[in-house]
Amino acid sequence: MGFKFLEMIRPFCAVLPEIQKPERKIQFKEKVLWTAITLFIFLVCCQIPLFGIMSSDSADPFYWIRVILASNRGTLMELGISPVVTSSLIMQLLAGAKLLDVGDSPKERALFNGAQKLFGLVITLGQAIVYVMTGMYGEPAELGAGICLLIIIQLFVSGLIVLLLDELLQKGYGLGSGISLFIATNICETIVWKAFSPATVNTGRGTEFEGALIALFHLLATRQDKVRALREAFYRQNLPNLTNLLATVLIFGIVIYFQGFRVDLPIKSARYRGQYSSYPIKLFYTSNIPIILQSALVSNLYILSQILDVKFHGNFLVSLLGVWADHGQGGPGRASYPIGGLCYYMSPPESLGHIVENPFHAVVYVIFMLGSCAFFSKTWIDVSGSSAKDVAKQLKEQQMVMRGHREKSMIHELNRYIPTAAAFGGLCIGALSVLADFMGAIGSGTGILLAVTIIYQYFEIFVKEQSEVGGGMSTLLF
Amino acid sequence: MAVSPMATNVGAGGRTVSRGALSASRPVGSGSSTVRQRKPATTSSTAARTTASTGGMWRFYTDDSPGIKVGPLPVLVGSLVFIATVFMLHIWGKYTRS
Repeated sequence: MGFKFLEMIRPFCAVLPEIQKPERKIQFKEKVLWTAITLFIFLVCCQIPLFGIMSSDSADPFYWIRVILASNRGTLMELGISPVVTSSLIMQLLAGAKLLDVGDSPKERALFNGAQKLFGLVITLGQAIVYVMTGMYGEPAELGAGICLLIIIQLFVSGLIVLLLDELLQKGYGLGSGISLFIATNICETIVWKAFSPATVNTGRGTEFEGALIALFHLLATRQDKVRALREAFYRQNLPNLTNLLATVLIFGIVIYFQGFRVDLPIKSARYRGQYSSYPIKLFYTSNIPIILQSALVSNLYILSQILDVKFHGNFLVSLLGVWADHGQGGPGRASYPIGGLCYYMSPPESLGHIVENPFHAVVYVIFMLGSCAFFSKTWIDVSGSSAKDVAKQLKEQQMVMRGHREKSMIHELNRYIPTAAAFGGLCIGALSVLADFMGAIGSGTGILLAVTIIYQYFEIFVKEQSEVGGGMSTLLF
Repeated sequence: MAVSPMATNVGAGGRTVSRGALSASRPVGSGSSTVRQRKPATTSSTAARTTASTGGMWRFYTDDSPGIKVGPLPVLVGSLVFIATVFMLHIWGKYTRS
């Protein structure tokens, strides 16, 4: 039944825009150029406000995940990459639960991709309609039908643009993938802003700078008691402080260190003697995918829970899902906080003090993070074509065999490593993210972890492209 | 282990050739048969490494899915036009409101 569903979608997929594969090899410089252009379009879209919105200062349901979903309030990038990621999440869960049968042949995979894209567009449209109709940009009745439609169209087209830009990069015109690029850009922006922001905030004891480093110098320069000034710069509560910054840097280092962990499986050519090579299976086999999917899951649950909480406050089932409170004064931008229900236990504890106060929350959070990351990591390898079976097939096509193994036992041997690496790697990623959250790293644990893994991937791509070109680092930029 | 980095280098060279100008490499390489025999093997070893390293990247669209084919330039132009349209809408909105 599941397979027929994909077949049913086929005619709809035929009308989707699809980026052509490059016919020739794109030069490295050209790739960098396309990547830069893509990034430029994205950043411009992040700044242009939506036309027709009246207000956007109601409590922001997205506040916690904006960084990860690369979305900016009230701009064309309001939805960010969330439709793309959400559609992929749902399709993957369906495939993982065997409700949707994804075949092994490239053609079936292609259809799966097409279905995913179609689904992404449908979700974009759906989210746009929900946003406008729930009155995020002002009451729909006040806005008028025409403006409502215009806003929906704007959101939809920008969603389409994100989709196409992502595909453009992935098809080989640029480096890496659009999703990764956008996430990394957004998070890096946040980190730099939190570290160097020149914006001033009026706290009870005079104005303070928002940026952690700037605040340090400002406090040292203006306060009489230098020791207290230092302590203030390191531990101030409501604004980014130096401990946050140091935690961010520390997490960065740890993740880079772990990236090097891998098992090298020796392989050799079946046709030519003396051709030895190795097939690396990294600890972070699926890299940041589990985190992306996990945050997509959580964010969608948050949205749902918040909308339900606003509409049916006090209902038992809704309260079970999540109870939300409006803090408002906490920081820049108004954020609602989960204070009860399932969502509360899925959100990270705010500080070390909270862990002591409510250890049960912390424990549930840790278990949830680790479990979901490991689970997503494992399902991902089947869908993305990096499971043991696929790897064995690839190696066979390239006429490589593992040393000391026949073709038959190769899958078995790979199966010993790959699912373990995927699950354990996902677990580690989850654990690191929890660690980052507990230490209060800037841009949330998941955010910083995403940024680091993406930057590392880009570094790898650069190195690979360089070795293909054969030039030194100097040709990287010029 | 000592062999693998060297094999990678050789393979990297072979890969660019094989990808960039597959047809061109044949008449050139026909001079020496030993080189020609070696090339495919080394190429595949690098390819194995390549696919392994990108396993974690967010990749979906590597295969061609059915759909209307568009080049990269139309996408670029399209998105710029869209941005310009929104800009125009803003300007137009300013004038009509005041």
